[in-house]
Amino acid sequence: MTAATAVLTELEPPPTRKQTTMRRLKQSRVLIVMCLPALIYFLVFAYGPMPGSWIAFTNYNYRDGIFGSPFVGMKNFEFLIQSGQLWLLTRNTILYNLAFIVLGNISQIALAIMLNEMRMKYFKKISQTIMFLPYFISVVLIGVIAFNLLNYDTGAVNALIEQFGGDPVKIYSAAGIWPLIIILFFLWQSTGYGSIVYFAAIMGIDSTMFEAAAIDGASAWQRIRYIILPSLKPTFIILLLFSLGGIMRGNFGLFWNLIGNNAVLFETTDIIETSVYRMIVSQNNFTSSTAVGLYQSLFGFALVMLCNWIVRRMNPDYALF
Amino acid sequence: MKRRTITKAGAVAATLALSSVALAACGSGGDSDGGNADGGASGDITPITMLVLGDKPTNGRLEAMLDELNANLREQAGAELSLYYVEWADWQTQYNVQLLANDGSVDLVTTATDWLFAWENAEKGAFLPLSEDMLKENAPKTWEQVSASGDWDLTKLDGEIYFIPEDNYTQYTNHGFFYRGDWAKEAGFANGEITKFEDFTQYFQWVKDNQPEAYPWDVAGANMAALTGYLQGHTDAITLQGVATGNYSIFETTKSDPYTISSNFMEGDALLEAAELAKEWNDMGVWREDAINYTGDTREEFYAGLSGADQHHTQTFLTQIVNNMTTKQEGSGPKMFYFGQENGNIFKDLKTHGAMAVSAASKNPEKALQVYDLIRNDQTDYDLLNFGIEGTDYILTDDGKLDYPEGYDSSTDALGSNFWGGRMDEYEYDKVTDAPNKWETYEALDAVAEDYPYETLVFNKDSIDSSLATIGGVLSTYLPQLMYGKFDDPAAAIEDMRAELAAAGYDEVRESLQADMDAWASEQGLK
Repeated sequence: MTAATAVLTELEPPPTRKQTTMRRLKQSRVLIVMCLPALIYFLVFAYGPMPGSWIAFTNYNYRDGIFGSPFVGMKNFEFLIQSGQLWLLTRNTILYNLAFIVLGNISQIALAIMLNEMRMKYFKKISQTIMFLPYFISVVLIGVIAFNLLNYDTGAVNALIEQFGGDPVKIYSAAGIWPLIIILFFLWQSTGYGSIVYFAAIMGIDSTMFEAAAIDGASAWQRIRYIILPSLKPTFIILLLFSLGGIMRGNFGLFWNLIGNNAVLFETTDIIETSVYRMIVSQNNFTSSTAVGLYQSLFGFALVMLCNWIVRRMNPDYALF
Repeated sequence: MKRRTITKAGAVAATLALSSVALAACGSGGDSDGGNADGGASGDITPITMLVLGDKPTNGRLEAMLDELNANLREQAGAELSLYYVEWADWQTQYNVQLLANDGSVDLVTTATDWLFAWENAEKGAFLPLSEDMLKENAPKTWEQVSASGDWDLTKLDGEIYFIPEDNYTQYTNHGFFYRGDWAKEAGFANGEITKFEDFTQYFQWVKDNQPEAYPWDVAGANMAALTGYLQGHTDAITLQGVATGNYSIFETTKSDPYTISSNFMEGDALLEAAELAKEWNDMGVWREDAINYTGDTREEFYAGLSGADQHHTQTFLTQIVNNMTTKQEGSGPKMFYFGQENGNIFKDLKTHGAMAVSAASKNPEKALQVYDLIRNDQTDYDLLNFGIEGTDYILTDDGKLDYPEGYDSSTDALGSNFWGGRMDEYEYDKVTDAPNKWETYEALDAVAEDYPYETLVFNKDSIDSSLATIGGVLSTYLPQLMYGKFDDPAAAIEDMRAELAAAGYDEVRESLQADMDAWASEQGLK
């Protein structure tokens, strides 16, 4: 606080709460205006549709609209429980997402550090571009690529196995290995793109720390261990908290295109989205799908609040709010 | 100081511009395709939008056709037509979401009772009830023709007409196998004709042994024909339309007991027989080991001589397969075995397999009906909408058949207007590319096929929606494996499936459907 403002506050009567808010709003009006697009975006696309969630509790018809249609309580949620699959689906969804989040972040950090350690400029740029590419490949194509690699009759992997005298493997009937395959495809697709944030964070580390470390004779490994990794911690935690909110949301496109209707693999690959899709695809049933979405959102919301609370207890600086 | 103000003002302006772009983006509706740039702007011309199914063509031919058509429509009805496409990707959802929006952006809606949720949407209030006066006044020709055929009853819910049937258009969408006559002959079938479902084992085995390049039946993904084809020809089951459970329709009646609902998927041995045959085929290597996950274009494989069979309906056979196979695989003598051929268990297409409804939110329902009456009954308008511009999109041969101009390639040059809610036999041309025996085929089918008996039966699914979803979930974990013969012990798998179906509420669903059936049957004086 500058001296001038300090004098000012002493002379004026203590402002009421309302006045303070008004003044603060006035002071930061430019910032508020700059926030406007984001605020409007969230109002329109996130808060605006929220009341529409009511449809999950109605027997919807066009004439009466969302709020006029008859209220049916939890009836639209019944099929989730009735199927007896809810536990399996929730478990699969959460485990996959945990694997995606943990392994994804680790490989992104590793990749960012490796890129940072590269000294040859062109090699660095080229490898960065190549790693980036898979992100822009549609999951539909990934499904096709996977089939061409893994299928029994003509797949590349089995052709290779046969070349070396082995017996071809029925990969599309082996539920046990699909978690691995799905995670590998996910990492292949997302690591390059995801590493950018970490790479940017590394770029932002105060260079005097590296200079000091160099003078002290730190090795490359020690530089990574004692400077880079600790400096990435806040970024890591923020990204972690963000992604936890979506932990109940499956990567529908990837799973559907890799697995589709292959029920042999469902034990280890069926997630909430794919299962619900199969149940109500031709049912013209918006209320049940909204019910599922609501279940996922509420669960995700609770999880973010919980994790944020835990983080805040451990270190308030790292918490989102 | 001044500079700061300018900067601020600039920031505010930029922000507002950005937000308005964001808002504008969510306000612009779909990819509706105006036929004429100045359409709608002029005072007396009413724009009418028709929702059609299919991928929106991008070759410019549709726009050219609409320009000509709209010149007529402006004069005849003071209206202009544009088409709104619900594309094939995820069409079930997109179609219903478009109707759910109910925002007046479409006036005419292509619908169907067996595949486009017509009853459900009528029940939910998406369609405008059409009064007799309204129809007589605005669509007199349509009114007259449908009345003469006595078909309005097929479109009534609680006594009100909700859509207009495509009831004067001959087509057969009954399914079956397409196979090669030349190979069948070598496989030992007289005249190369296969007349029983099980006989395909012999045909497939011959292909396996003698055509090493080809799969006996290259089939992909969601296909169910190995089960449903068998059931149709070995039972007298009639599959009920409009009660989907996930991707499947399992509720049936039988010809011997037409008012009692049951299901071969739940009772009897026919499903097991079908599954055992499918397992035999799987073990023979009739299809790819990983057929369930295969997404390739199996029809192209058939055209290329790399598959011994293909599977779809009569219409596909007559209008595409015969022409393509005779040119791409000379001497292949393509033939079709239709499911139910053994026991005559086949049905004609529903007269509401195609239909047109007026959206409940349409701002100009009368005008929409006037436009519909023209595109259904005015030969010039009909030809333009369905076939395009004569000379560039099609030509007429001296004997009155429809042909295509030199250099026309149906895969890139198609008009794609997809008017499937009001075609008329008297305005249709025979195509040069049609199978030469098209009409004989229709006559032969007419001789055996019956009318679907429950065209006016509408099920109320409010109380069973959740069980239907659960049943769909159970089926989706068993039927693909049964169809592709992947269970080592199909009998045990079917037993498990039936136990799960029972737990999912099969009996309650059946009873609820049965109650609707009983009410309908007594209403119709049938029972």
